[in-house]
Amino acid sequence: MTVNVLVFHPDRCTGCLRCELYCSYMQTGAFQPAKSVIRVAPMEGYTSYAPYTCTQCAEGWCMTACPVGAIHINAASAKDVIDDRCVGCKLCTIACPYGTMFYDADSQKAYKCDLCGGRPACAEACPTQAIVFEAATTADWVGDFAADRTARVLAQGAA
Amino acid sequence: MAARHLIVGGGTAGINAIRTIREEDGGASEITLVSAERPYSRMVLPYYLGKQIAESHVYTATPASLAAWKVKALLGRRAARLDAAAATLTLDDGANVPYDDCLIATGSRAVKPAIPGADGPGVHCFWTLEEAQRVVAGVTPGSRVVMVGAGFIAFTILNAILAREAKLTILEIAPRILPRMVDAECAGLVSRWLTRHGVTLRPGVTVTRIEEARGKRRLHLKGGEPVTADVVIMATGIRPNLEWLEGSGLELSGEPGGGVLVDDHLRSSVRTVYAAGDVARGRNVVSGAHEVHAIEPTAQEHGRVVGANMAGRDVAYPGSLVMNIVEVCHLDVASFGQWEDEGAEVFSAVRPERSQYRKLLFRGGRLTGAIIGGPSNDMWTTNDVGMLKGLVYAGVDLSAWKAHLARHPFDIKPAFLATRTVTSLLPRTILGRPSHSPELPTSVVVT
Repeated sequence: MTVNVLVFHPDRCTGCLRCELYCSYMQTGAFQPAKSVIRVAPMEGYTSYAPYTCTQCAEGWCMTACPVGAIHINAASAKDVIDDRCVGCKLCTIACPYGTMFYDADSQKAYKCDLCGGRPACAEACPTQAIVFEAATTADWVGDFAADRTARVLAQGAA
Repeated sequence: MAARHLIVGGGTAGINAIRTIREEDGGASEITLVSAERPYSRMVLPYYLGKQIAESHVYTATPASLAAWKVKALLGRRAARLDAAAATLTLDDGANVPYDDCLIATGSRAVKPAIPGADGPGVHCFWTLEEAQRVVAGVTPGSRVVMVGAGFIAFTILNAILAREAKLTILEIAPRILPRMVDAECAGLVSRWLTRHGVTLRPGVTVTRIEEARGKRRLHLKGGEPVTADVVIMATGIRPNLEWLEGSGLELSGEPGGGVLVDDHLRSSVRTVYAAGDVARGRNVVSGAHEVHAIEPTAQEHGRVVGANMAGRDVAYPGSLVMNIVEVCHLDVASFGQWEDEGAEVFSAVRPERSQYRKLLFRGGRLTGAIIGGPSNDMWTTNDVGMLKGLVYAGVDLSAWKAHLARHPFDIKPAFLATRTVTSLLPRTILGRPSHSPELPTSVVVT
């Protein structure tokens, strides 16, 4: 059974950062992109952009690493932090090899993409369908794009 | 297939093994757990000390949840002797437990230096729940706490001691703090940060004797004035619980660090006996060497691999990544892989005004080790922690990026994405299948 995942089309991304704004609002109740769990990476001197967040990987490194079972799979098939269980030990942040675990210094808890429980705000916010929530097998959506968009500057020694 | 599984030790490795057996077999086999203590997570004891969680939060299983998993739990019992040839474990009360296969997961214990007074009143270790309870009772607002040892364990409870409004002094025998977790430059950054936060650090100090005087403790130092404390916490190292395996028939390592010799399925020299966690000399995924890591993530992965293999799966394990993270006074410090490697090519950078540090160690085109430090309210610190783990673990070819990373050791995200590290990581799972939700026993969740 294929479930809905976040699919990224970085070639469509304009770098408007609405996804970060909406995501932070869903995650924290405030519009503060610094707390967004989707991050838009600028490429080629801010002329192209690659949105990036948790792939909801099969291993679930964050989930298996948690010593108190504070990360589970929610109804949207996303790995999700149970706030009341999380003690803020950060083991998930070193276990996740994708760099998509986050830590809120105010609440002292870990947090991550939970697919907004099934209606991801980033996908709804995206004006160019660079972020789509649809049935697919999760994949490396931005690797080829990033390789292409960094090749020229790397060759010039100025990436 | 083995029908009677015996798990010796109820820590991270043991409980993960039990959970994985039940994920695989749904309850079809017999499981017996022998554990001297009730199963709990050592990792979260600092948060209990810091009053952020109740004692009930530390338990990873309860008698009721073990019953729901159909586990016969012999709690409060210790393993006394193993006869691998006869496939029998003898307990400390003389009872014999026969098995078809067995997991040795007896973990480590804290060790104090052999100095006079180290076993006196008010001198504690912080390793077991019982030890934590004694420290909780002793560390009160305004009390003077002296911690002996400035390693990872000491640093995990630093915040908690400050949260209990105690005054903290840390003595370390080595010339600097965190000698086995980060390099000297990062240690210097952490030292300056902690000093600003009111922690007194005294590296290069040897305690020779601890004397009790009128309810206080006086620590005598080699070539220095004595230090007075209400409570002394010894964070001076741990040792694997292996002595009871003498004469068991299992091959133990004679190398430094010791450990039960294991193959890629975490089987010992006797095929029906597995070892996991702090007692297992498992493979290092970066170097290929066999060594005891004595860290939580290794115990967790070991436990799951053994559980799957005990349940009849055939799971080979590529090895564990040495890694640690600790937060002290809102500064994150983490290291991965072979961060101490004379033969490596090293790129490092520090931003002193922002207390940020990065160190990248290369062997050829491969990142084999990394150190990172930075404020924990800086989103990049946390994200880079994960990406550094991914780059070291996946071992992707970064040849094209080395010149860039030499100039900009902080700029790892473009390299991470463009080398298709995600493509390399996505197919990787420890058990060759998607992981399950932890399904914590409800009695643990609600108490």
